[in-house]
Amino acid sequence: MVFSFIVIPLLLAAFLPLIGKFSKKLLPDLLTNAALAYLVFNSILLIKTIFNRGVLIQNLSWFGETVNLQVALDSFNLFMLFTISLVSLCISLFSVDYLEHYGHRSTFYALFLVMIAGMNGLVLVPDLFSIYLFLEVAAVASYALVAFGLGYDELEASFKYLMLSVVASAFALLSITVIFGLTGSLNFQAVAQGLQDLGARSVLGVCVAFFIMGFGLKAALIPFHAWLPDAHPSAPAPISAMLSGLLIKVSGIYALFRIIYSVIGITPALSQILMALGTISMVAAALLALGQKDIKRMLAYSSISQVGYIVLGLALGTPLGIAGALFHLFNHAVAKGLLFLNSGSIQHITGTRNLDELGGLGKVVPVTAGTNLVGALSIAGVPPLAGFWSKLIIIMALIQAKEFAYALVAILASVLTLWYYLLIQRKAFFGRVSEKWAQVNEAPFWMSAANVLLALICILAGIFFTPIFRTWISPAAEALARGIQAVLMWGL
Amino acid sequence: MVIQIILLCGLVIFSGLAILLRDLIKAALSLAVASLILGIIFFRLSAPYAGVFEISVVAGLITVLFVLTIALTKKGDEVAEARLVKMAFPIFLILFLIIDGLVMKSLLQKIPALPSGPEAGAFGDVLWKQRTFDLVAQIGVILAGVLAVLALFRKKEEDGDE
Repeated sequence: MVFSFIVIPLLLAAFLPLIGKFSKKLLPDLLTNAALAYLVFNSILLIKTIFNRGVLIQNLSWFGETVNLQVALDSFNLFMLFTISLVSLCISLFSVDYLEHYGHRSTFYALFLVMIAGMNGLVLVPDLFSIYLFLEVAAVASYALVAFGLGYDELEASFKYLMLSVVASAFALLSITVIFGLTGSLNFQAVAQGLQDLGARSVLGVCVAFFIMGFGLKAALIPFHAWLPDAHPSAPAPISAMLSGLLIKVSGIYALFRIIYSVIGITPALSQILMALGTISMVAAALLALGQKDIKRMLAYSSISQVGYIVLGLALGTPLGIAGALFHLFNHAVAKGLLFLNSGSIQHITGTRNLDELGGLGKVVPVTAGTNLVGALSIAGVPPLAGFWSKLIIIMALIQAKEFAYALVAILASVLTLWYYLLIQRKAFFGRVSEKWAQVNEAPFWMSAANVLLALICILAGIFFTPIFRTWISPAAEALARGIQAVLMWGL
Repeated sequence: MVIQIILLCGLVIFSGLAILLRDLIKAALSLAVASLILGIIFFRLSAPYAGVFEISVVAGLITVLFVLTIALTKKGDEVAEARLVKMAFPIFLILFLIIDGLVMKSLLQKIPALPSGPEAGAFGDVLWKQRTFDLVAQIGVILAGVLAVLALFRKKEEDGDE
């Protein structure tokens, strides 16, 4: 059932603080992981239905009375739901051991689940105002999670994130208000129909600009990126993984492109603007990442850069470009989730994240080092890992669309990416083991297990690229590429 | 029209005061006045439900909470602010007003009035039957807020108890 993606995490989150009174550790760990495992299972079960029917619209009735609880699931949402469930399951497995630092497991998991419910809701609703509301659900939970450590840096980063995120929401809400004023409706289908009949191009232009500012801030596209390099490194490692791996993609990229493709419609000018923004993010953030000493800060800049790739592919608008971008979205969610969790392992093992202090860890903690290498090479685009295929498809799509300049920049940015990831490898894992780290132990079981699981997904998604691409990515990309026409056919 | 403009100017002035005033009680009261004016504007735009909620919840309930909280703080809790930060808000406010004015001026003639009032149906119908999903999301927002308070104001000494 589709509603379970929202209801289960919300219900569990409501009861977890109570459960936490009886069982501080076992029950919160068990219930959260079981709920997320169920969501992964559920999203796999839904593949067949979506494959046969194309789109699934569900209405819920409340004690026999029909209420307007409606969700629309097509292959694009399902792809997002699966990515969210899978990556968050790995992250919550990691948290089992990691939360020993922080305590207050039940509150942490409850906020974590609310954030997941918010993201799932955002992905499922076919309504502009509901998108805004679920965006806030996920955002409010994430402000608290960034500050969860309660240190000075955490609170400062959370405050900065809160302030910029509120501005982002305000822009998105303003734009939604204007669209409501124009069409008198909020439902995707009705708004798309209304806008087509109305033909108010200049007003719509302002709306799109506000959407780009609002969701661009959420996705941390340059020049709207200032909050991310502070917020993501300050958060506890599982939350950094969640923010960089999932939240910026769902509340930024998904929301922006769902609205552009399914409601407003893409124009060549809009496509060019977004491609330019994507490319600037890709290159500038990669250059900024090179100078960082803190692993998590470097990873945060890398997220901005990779979001640039995804935006570039999605904005190109050809089926191949969208498919490549969606595959890259999945790969980046997995690999960046892995790398942030891994940085948590490194901090747990050594107590520092400063690259200059680390060195030679590969010999003493082979699991952490090995999984880090897999994640880094996948994002950098080294074959046969999954990240190679997605970048290759994006670049092929750019060449096919005769955008040679963008293709060249994408290739060069990929080289830069490889450069800074090799920098991490060289400084942290290779070379001579310093005296200080000679006696350290590998990270605890669940932390390593989550790392290994994500690394395996990176490798397997690369090896079984063809079937995954055919059954998962292509249908999702087609659902998005059909855009407004598909939404008008939903017949809500 | 004149009353509308006075109300709108009052809204901007009191919202600005809420941020600029150093005294927290005065700032909270300015916020209450601002939302009271907003409530009146809602009434005049024939959105009575929004007006009632704005006045009762924001102007009433939240102000009480603010004043209570401020009453509980001690002397010496205030934080010194850098001069640059003090300057930033007025500058941004003026910039925003200019941009807002320009954008709104170009939009004014182009947005047609709504075909029917957004609150055409009975309040219960709109809330429970048409916008049910928003209720779910609002429960989510409230839950997130409550949990955030639990997480951020937890007792520090309990941190190591697991």
